[in-house]
Amino acid sequence: MKKFVAGAILLAASSSAFAEAPGGPNCGWGNMLFQGQSGIVPHFLASTTNGTSGNATFGMTSGTNGCSTSGKLTYGGKAMVSAMLDELTADVAVGEGDTLTAVAVAYGVAAEDRAAFAAMANQNFEVLFPSESVTADEVIASLEALMKADADLAKYVS
Amino acid sequence: MMRTVFLILSLLLLPMPTLAGSAEGVWAQAQARQLWLHDQWLKLGHYKAGAWPGSWRSHADDARFFLAADGAVNPRAELQATLEALLAPADAGDDHAQCRFVARLAWLRTQLPLDAIAQPDCAAYREFRSGVRADRAVLVFPSYYLNSPSSMFGHTLLRLDAGEQGEGGEYLSFAVNFGALVDPSDNGLFYAFRGLTGGYPGQFEVDHYYKKIRDYNRDENRDIWEYRLNLTAEETERLIQHLWELKGINFAYYFFDENCSYRVLELLEVARPGVSLTEHFPLTAIPIDTIRAVQSAGMVTGRQFRPAQGTVLKAQLDALPADLHDDVQALSQDPQRLLAPPLAQQDAAMQAAAVATAYRYLRFTQTGTQRDPDAARRSLTLLRELRARASALPSDWGTPDAGIAPDLAHGSRRLSVGVGREDGVRHASLGFRMALHSLHENRDGFPFGAQINLGNLELRLEESAGLELDRLDLVDIVSLSPRDRFFTPLSWAVQTGVERQWVAGDVHRAAQVNGGVGATVALARGLRTYALATARVEHNHGFRDPLQPALGVRGGVLAAWGRLTLHGEAGVEQFANGRNRVRWQLRQNLTLARHHALQLSVDGHDQRLGERTALGLQYHLYY
Repeated sequence: MKKFVAGAILLAASSSAFAEAPGGPNCGWGNMLFQGQSGIVPHFLASTTNGTSGNATFGMTSGTNGCSTSGKLTYGGKAMVSAMLDELTADVAVGEGDTLTAVAVAYGVAAEDRAAFAAMANQNFEVLFPSESVTADEVIASLEALMKADADLAKYVS
Repeated sequence: MMRTVFLILSLLLLPMPTLAGSAEGVWAQAQARQLWLHDQWLKLGHYKAGAWPGSWRSHADDARFFLAADGAVNPRAELQATLEALLAPADAGDDHAQCRFVARLAWLRTQLPLDAIAQPDCAAYREFRSGVRADRAVLVFPSYYLNSPSSMFGHTLLRLDAGEQGEGGEYLSFAVNFGALVDPSDNGLFYAFRGLTGGYPGQFEVDHYYKKIRDYNRDENRDIWEYRLNLTAEETERLIQHLWELKGINFAYYFFDENCSYRVLELLEVARPGVSLTEHFPLTAIPIDTIRAVQSAGMVTGRQFRPAQGTVLKAQLDALPADLHDDVQALSQDPQRLLAPPLAQQDAAMQAAAVATAYRYLRFTQTGTQRDPDAARRSLTLLRELRARASALPSDWGTPDAGIAPDLAHGSRRLSVGVGREDGVRHASLGFRMALHSLHENRDGFPFGAQINLGNLELRLEESAGLELDRLDLVDIVSLSPRDRFFTPLSWAVQTGVERQWVAGDVHRAAQVNGGVGATVALARGLRTYALATARVEHNHGFRDPLQPALGVRGGVLAAWGRLTLHGEAGVEQFANGRNRVRWQLRQNLTLARHHALQLSVDGHDQRLGERTALGLQYHLYY
């Protein structure tokens, strides 16, 4: 009986921890239970490993639908910019990097124009990222405006 | 006889649309060839041979995947029902079997005369298919992360790529992932139990690859290895068609065997008819082994390394002079530090490197936390400073060294034979370990300081006592991540199993579970020392009250020089019944070749009744 009571308390404790923890359904159960990166418990229970994440999406088309309103940025590009804004900002600052290339690919920028695209973004860092609270939508709008004003890149957003 | 004649007649009449287009006609042809036993049909239905000869059972655990009532156990009935449904009037739209079972239809078209059948408009599939830009595939392995035992075996998923290879569009590719549908209201213990016992349904998920990069590289800090596959456009098409059939279909999820990696193999088997991948994994499917299986099937053409956030940060720190590390850390807190010595005195390249590292570190510390406006402001300031100096950075500055790929590590399973001596008695030792890697073993392809063992059995043969159980470790995990001013992980260990213990001069087989938490310090490259506070519960018949908890400490040194590694550890425990236990051990490993090693061990323990020392020499074969 003692064991059962202890088990019940543990159950209650962890479900209340869950209820209070922030995080959406894609954070994985471990992160939801124990928010934060350090400590043993979150690592022991980390989520997305071995495929045991709670994944209910079959979202192949959602990416396309989600960004079709944003100019020519297709197949998941806008959502990608939103999710990887940190990385993109750093890539633009340096003038190269995976996320910057991926955005160019999403716009269909041809290989020979990629360097010009990267240089344009790098030179306009202040325009693209005017403040720390800039949103992905604003970054994309600025980027498309800059591309339209660029002789080589206008064709990708027209 | 009549039946045979009828079959022959129907075969002769094959080109005639009236009969060929009828369900009876194609079914007759399918029967004549026993098409339900065709390898590709069995794979499309995820059938595996059952316990009885001639019996079948599908891994798909979902009535929606079958058209026949007993389709899950009867591939013949399922084929008949499928043919009937495919030939049904075409007004059912998206619900028509032709729209639901696209891969079955495509394959059956190659086997039976189905060209003339009425075709429904599959709007949902068309939309799905047009959204999937892919003509080739990549097998993706998010690697082990030292501090996360749930990553202990890694994971595999598929990536579907479009466009030109190497053009950098991988962020936009689709990831195909098999995962358990976890009930978010389940707590951790329940989760572990259900995960191991198949209590969760598993489903395929198709989503953008950038999310996987974010999950693994950034949030979980795991390196990703990507293995390019030589699937043709046609094979990739088959894979996508079959994925559509599997949309929303439940499979029982088992952590060890029918897991993510096993299902990925099944997909590849469908994509490339005739290839056998799953047959190598009747009991366990350890992700790295499944990658090796795909490699040996000749399907891998190259590998690529995608470093984790922390790996990049470490490489950037290594590329900076160590005496600037303090200033880099301070810089991440206060970008004004750039204006003061010593950073102000550095050249542009060094300043750029310091700013880039400080930014990286700042973002690293913010991972998984709520957005902090102050940190965001500092981040942007640092990036402005970086941009001003970025052109001074050498092009490959701070790029991590990929090291040795995980598929080149020693084999997951281990057989060992050896000789030993304890208390003047000689013995032969025999061991088998299911998986995977110990601290002192050949570290190529593994993170240094990680030990992940499951199912380790050690027996000894003594002249007087016969065959004896030396130890059985069910789970044995140690994580020794060094701490420094940038990284502050805890070190920890968990182990449970049965081992020999001495009480009052007698040996007992004691079931026990123990764990510890502490810290590790890197003294030099390849040299670490650690200390852990430990707790233990032991069931030992040598005690008056067999179930005893204990508290203790343990600490040790781990060193690696080329082919030679050394692990020494000592520990002491105090049981609730007042007994003390001291033990120490030394493991020395000499790597002979990738899958071969020699281990020298010395073990000692002291329980007031005098010290005992055991010496052992073992040969390890990994496979």
